[in-house]
Amino acid sequence: MQYLVSVIDDTAGLATPDEDAAIDVFNEGLKAEGHWVFAGGLAAPSSATVIDNRGEEAIFTDGPFLESKEHLAGFWIIEAADLDVALGLAAKGSKACNRKIEVRPIL
Amino acid sequence: MSVAGVREAITQVHHEEWARVVASLTRRFGDLDLAEEAAAEAFAGAVERWPADGVPPNPGAWLTTTANRKAIDRIRRENKRDDKHKEAQMLHDNTPPEPLGAIDDDRLRLMFTCCHPALAMQTRVALTLRMVGGLTVPEIARAFLVQGTTMEQRITRAKAKIKAARIPYRMPSADDLPARVTGVLAVLFLVFNEGYLASGPDTDPVRHDLTTEAIRLTRLLRALLPQDGEGPGCWR
Repeated sequence: MQYLVSVIDDTAGLATPDEDAAIDVFNEGLKAEGHWVFAGGLAAPSSATVIDNRGEEAIFTDGPFLESKEHLAGFWIIEAADLDVALGLAAKGSKACNRKIEVRPIL
Repeated sequence: MSVAGVREAITQVHHEEWARVVASLTRRFGDLDLAEEAAAEAFAGAVERWPADGVPPNPGAWLTTTANRKAIDRIRRENKRDDKHKEAQMLHDNTPPEPLGAIDDDRLRLMFTCCHPALAMQTRVALTLRMVGGLTVPEIARAFLVQGTTMEQRITRAKAKIKAARIPYRMPSADDLPARVTGVLAVLFLVFNEGYLASGPDTDPVRHDLTTEAIRLTRLLRALLPQDGEGPGCWR
């Protein structure tokens, strides 16, 4: 079963070198134990563009997260047997990247 | 046995066997919702049949067998309606319980699942009363002074989350056990407290149904957990 592990950032700015190093260690652990699927850090929310092509023509707008206090700063997709395993990994991930984390199952 | 006697016996069996029936069905079918419904149907069957047929010599076994049959009937019915769900519905864990030491009981797993830290506190309380305590949804709604539909929704959402997020149905690891037992006790304490110091303006000051239930479930937890000094120190 796969889980989306989102990093919720309520600070401004990217990860510090220390945080980056800790994340690397955490990632190596994920790979070694077979939990790793994918991960990525995201550029600042101000760089986002929203596309709505449900109507007649595509409309491009600035990201909706510009004004919000919290934003998605990065994510992991992990493979875990159940929520307890996923939560255990997420707790380590939160420590490593020094931010709040949300875990959601992928259907 | 008189009708009143049978009724008394059913109430007694409900207290003793509800959690066991729900728990064993949850393990077999891996689905809290199905387990709850099938258990409720089995008890309804007992209310219907026992006054005429008499109380069976082993009521717990009768209820478990009946509930298993009801669950399988339900899976078959739903499969006919929607073949796509067939595979998912038929998934169940027939493997014997993992060797986790002396402490392993389906009812204990059920408690840990209902009191999982990924669920909101209010939800844990409601779910524990329903799945482990066997209180009806209207009873729980009355206890917490909310509409029946609100409580129904809360419990339904919790069961959906347990299923979708795959909250496991097993004993927590030894490392997590003390914290998780504390979590279960917090839930039982809230149940007791609600009975002891009811929060609503129009409720009785002492609600024996809730306090009794809390004491009963705490006794059950205490009976199921080891007392060999390895276990949590929260009893002392």
